[in-house]
Amino acid sequence: MFFLMLRQSFFRGRRRKALATLTIVLSASLITALMNVSIDVGDKMAREMKSYGANINMVPKSEAIPLEIGGVDYNPLKDRVFINESDLPKIKEIFWHNNIAGFAPFLKTTVEIAGNAKKRINLIGTNFDRQIPIAGDDEFRTGVKVVFPYWQVKGEWPGDEEPAGILAGAALARDLGLKPGDRLTVKGAGDTGREESFVVKGILTTGGAEESALVAPLAVVQRLAGMEGKVQSVSVSALTVPEDKLSRKARQSNDSLDSMEYDRWYCTAYVSSITHQIEEAIPNVTARPIWQVAAGEGAVVNKIQLLMIVVTIAAFIASGLGISSLMATTIMERSREIGLMKALGAADWEVYLLFLSESAFVGVIGGLLGCLAGAGLSQIIGLSIFGSYVSFSPIVVPVNVAVSVLIALSGSLMPSRLITKLYPAEVLHGRR
Amino acid sequence: MAKIVLETKVLTKRYGSVTPLDSIDMQVKGGEWVAIMGPSGSGKTTMLNLLSLLDSPTEGEYILDGVGTATLTEKERVAVRREKIGLVFQQFHLVSYLTALENVMLAQYYHSMVDKGDAMEALERVGLEHRTDHLPSQLSGGEQQRVCIARALINQPAIIMADEPTGNLDEANEEVVLELFKELHREGRTIIMVTHNPELAEFADRVVRLHHGKVVKDA
Ligand SMILES: Nc1ncnc2c1ncn2[C@@H]1O[C@H](COP(=O)(O)OP(=O)(O)OP(=O)(O)O)[C@@H](O)[C@H]1O
Ligand SMILES: [Mg+2]
Repeated sequence: MFFLMLRQSFFRGRRRKALATLTIVLSASLITALMNVSIDVGDKMAREMKSYGANINMVPKSEAIPLEIGGVDYNPLKDRVFINESDLPKIKEIFWHNNIAGFAPFLKTTVEIAGNAKKRINLIGTNFDRQIPIAGDDEFRTGVKVVFPYWQVKGEWPGDEEPAGILAGAALARDLGLKPGDRLTVKGAGDTGREESFVVKGILTTGGAEESALVAPLAVVQRLAGMEGKVQSVSVSALTVPEDKLSRKARQSNDSLDSMEYDRWYCTAYVSSITHQIEEAIPNVTARPIWQVAAGEGAVVNKIQLLMIVVTIAAFIASGLGISSLMATTIMERSREIGLMKALGAADWEVYLLFLSESAFVGVIGGLLGCLAGAGLSQIIGLSIFGSYVSFSPIVVPVNVAVSVLIALSGSLMPSRLITKLYPAEVLHGRR
Repeated sequence: MAKIVLETKVLTKRYGSVTPLDSIDMQVKGGEWVAIMGPSGSGKTTMLNLLSLLDSPTEGEYILDGVGTATLTEKERVAVRREKIGLVFQQFHLVSYLTALENVMLAQYYHSMVDKGDAMEALERVGLEHRTDHLPSQLSGGEQQRVCIARALINQPAIIMADEPTGNLDEANEEVVLELFKELHREGRTIIMVTHNPELAEFADRVVRLHHGKVVKDA
């Protein structure tokens, strides 16, 4: 009989329930969307943050201090230690290989522009957007385009293959009057004396030292400098989790961790554990976090997640209040029915049970519908803010249904106290 | 000589300075049909509320079936009402989303156990066997009132209390309801019925007249 009443009250009083269900649907969809986004936002934001550049710098272990005067390196390359280019794919083979978003190798040499022997300028060799052979991932392309998304090119990006195109830094281009399409021949400054000829494909703006240099495909610069297969440094962009107590402890010294802590540290995508793993994978390199970038990223992600939680709680409270007033209205409207049940011998708890069950049911239905609507909403948020889909976390469904039931029940609890106060004599014999 | 099932002693109800019911002394014997009459506002509904334990008196005593009701807890009052009294209201009061049959079953549910067969029989008895699956909104006033009576009868109460059961009905329906009450009377149930209708009161064993909360005539 109880379930019969519950069912009939629903199906024959559909319109009355519709409003309450709608309130729940709205709040549940909001909560679903927020939860979905905040679960995914860490990842999304971290990727977004990569537009601020690489967060790890890799150099040979015993690199001599470069002798740089006015941005031009006077320390001859041949006495220095290098990283082997053939070692680079190993970066994508470490424990956290999925978190390596990209890397870009660099080799810098000084050249003279043909017909202008006085002028010595830097020539930077790197990968622009090159396919790197990685076991198990034959689509991995990386280079400065990925690692430094903020590099801007007027004209077009050169390819990594020959015939070589080149980027001219904006400041240099202004000095020499270079524009896309110009031809340029440079001569190696060292004793190799080799010459290479390029087409200027684009003018590069970075806000850094690259603006007064030429940037060419790595292989060409290696040949020009006589340094085949060598690179000087590698900028790595990795997705990392924010620093915490454990990672700070590890930063002081790895030895201060006990073996459990060490395992936990190793298996967490801290920037420090990733650099550690890179050093393990490639002999004779030092990988260092670029702290300003690494720390800033974590802090911003944390703040955004906190903001999400606050908004979620606000949605929770708002819909709770909405349900509460709806429920109060319902009880007023149904006071005769309540009085009648009491007059027929229903105990207060039996009336409570009916009303709270109805609320719980509204919660379940609203929660499920809200999940559907929220899944859609989170995609809209994802697309409009991050330009990509937000992955749907299945955990959101049970959590949301539970939360919706909780909203419906807590919203009903206050007004259902009216049930106790209701005297059948007052509502039943009223003269309409 | 039938035993007294219902007795009031100086029963009084006050709302602030208003005294809708003033020192009522009354006895009702088992199987008796009592009509309560009086002008509007004379305290008839107030009295019925007290007698059906929906309300409690400010002063005085009310003894139902030999038990003083003053000391009963709310729970016990609910139980006594459920076991002994069938209520018929002036304004029908059916649950709008339940069918005629389900409304009758609701009274069974709060009383003891649901029995669809019994509920059908009760509706048959009031001549509604063909409207069992209709919602109150699909029934006429007379049919709704008959559902209420079927509901009041379903748990076999010894006492039936009705507040103007024909107040909202036309003559034909009034006749049907009257016949039902006559039959209940023949079965030996105690009936207390508030009415404005002298024709209805004619069939009662006794008419109690109220005026300004006092009994002015009892015959
Ligand atoms: N809760 C209340 N508070 C104050 N006064 C009340 C209350 N209930 C009833 N009264 C008053 O008590 C008096 C008797 O009311 P009651 O409902 O018993 O009249 P009645 O005889 O049933 O009238 P009617 O024939 O119109 O139904 C009226 O004057 C009414 O205003
Ligand atoms: Mg009345």
